[in-house]
Amino acid sequence: MKHLSDQELMRIVQAGDFSPASEIYDRYSGRIYNFALRFLKNAEAAEDATQEVFVKMMRHANQFQGDAKLSTWLFSITANWCRDYLRKSDNKAKEAEDVLINLPAPSELSPDRTLEQRENEDLIRRALQALTPEQREAILLSRYQGLSYAEIAQISGCSEGAVKTRVFRAMETLKKALVGDLRGGDRCLTALP
Amino acid sequence: MSDCIAMRESMPLLLTESLDPASREAAHTHIESCAACSDEWAGVRETWRLLDEMPRVEPPARVKAKFLAEIGQGEVAQTNIVPFRRRPAFKWLAQAAAVVIIAGGSYFAGHRDQRIVLPSQEARISNVIPVSAPIYSLAETRTLSSKTMSPNIEGRPDIENVQFIDADPSDGSISLGFDITQHMTVSGAPTDKSMVRLLSYVMQSEDRVSPSRSRTIDWVRDTYSKSGNADPEIAQALAKVLRNDQHEGVRIKAADTLNSLAPRVPVTAEATRDALIEALKSDPNPAVRLKAVEALARMASSGQQLDPASIDMLRQKASQNDENLYVRVKAAEALSTLSKIRPE
Repeated sequence: MKHLSDQELMRIVQAGDFSPASEIYDRYSGRIYNFALRFLKNAEAAEDATQEVFVKMMRHANQFQGDAKLSTWLFSITANWCRDYLRKSDNKAKEAEDVLINLPAPSELSPDRTLEQRENEDLIRRALQALTPEQREAILLSRYQGLSYAEIAQISGCSEGAVKTRVFRAMETLKKALVGDLRGGDRCLTALP
Repeated sequence: MSDCIAMRESMPLLLTESLDPASREAAHTHIESCAACSDEWAGVRETWRLLDEMPRVEPPARVKAKFLAEIGQGEVAQTNIVPFRRRPAFKWLAQAAAVVIIAGGSYFAGHRDQRIVLPSQEARISNVIPVSAPIYSLAETRTLSSKTMSPNIEGRPDIENVQFIDADPSDGSISLGFDITQHMTVSGAPTDKSMVRLLSYVMQSEDRVSPSRSRTIDWVRDTYSKSGNADPEIAQALAKVLRNDQHEGVRIKAADTLNSLAPRVPVTAEATRDALIEALKSDPNPAVRLKAVEALARMASSGQQLDPASIDMLRQKASQNDENLYVRVKAAEALSTLSKIRPE
């Protein structure tokens, strides 16, 4: 299976044979999981997202257009899942949401991370959470997934111009939180709530 | 000014080299000639670089297993094997017994028409040898003595439903029940190598649910804190749990149990101390750091020497402004204890 392209694997799935499931999962699960984890800041929800995205991919394989990029389609499903999750979370009690959001991600628990790395990661995580969901989605897809604005626009269901504005606004907020005013010298570590 | 605004909006595209060559050239020319945009560009680049410090995390293996199970493609578990080898001696004993039975049977068959006359004598039981190797069927629960097990655990067997039994606390024997391909109960002395390795394995089985590991650590603390049961391998296994376990509740218990065991297993003092120092230095959970300080303080008060690096770490924690208050107080108390034991 490893030598087959994404499109070839999906054709097999569309024919009703689910045997490429493991190979497709191995190719994309890391990217999907990390996107969901950074978007939601909740390891448990990111696991659910990853599992359900791939299940949905298999069950709705016929909706995949053969000439499209599989990654774009998978990120569309993932982004929808994450948006739904946040919407549902908004309806829950504030306390419950706090508990969910404060659950540590696995990377926080890794013994290999130095204290400084942990602090930086925590700072970035908090900075990302300070963005609007739309801005966060755009910057995560651009910075960590290397997707073009056209692909992000397709995933987010908006225009390329809107993506450009979202990424710009996100970078402004992140710069303020992570770097501060360079002319002022030190990084502004207290800019976040 | 409008040039500057348009330029700043294009900076993320400049970072990803998504601008066409002409626009890219124009952007760089503008940035070089405009101090404000030059500062902005430096900040945007630094932000972009910092975002890269977020580590990439691999999804847990269970996610794939659940996904494949959900679509009916579940893989056959490769690890569902009996993890213990019987000692070769057992196999030889069984073979020797078979040879004796066959030879005896043949002799009896060959001489059954001859009458054997034995001299009469008083019957007397001189010694009873208990049957040590019961005959098993596949369906029944197996109860094995830890002495009959190889202490080397092969592969990474799936052990589920772990249970601890100490029917008679005074008999010096404990039992560990678990499911592999069937339910097994291993009984023996806590100091038996197979028992030690089995408990160490269960404690470190991160792919198992944490309550099992947590209960195992409770059991280990109760059992191996008793004088005479302390074992260096148990202490080493706990140090590994403290370093590596993803669940903070399990790490807290590991540090707590090391605190109980540390004075009794001086041979592992160095490995234990290193694990405690590492936890104190970098564990994200303050409760784990607190337990690590307590364990270090106890090691010091029990006469075990702390190296300069450990003392430095305690000093650092005692004076670290952004450290949890309780951790700071405990670190200061540990230093105070040390200064009384070993005045500088």
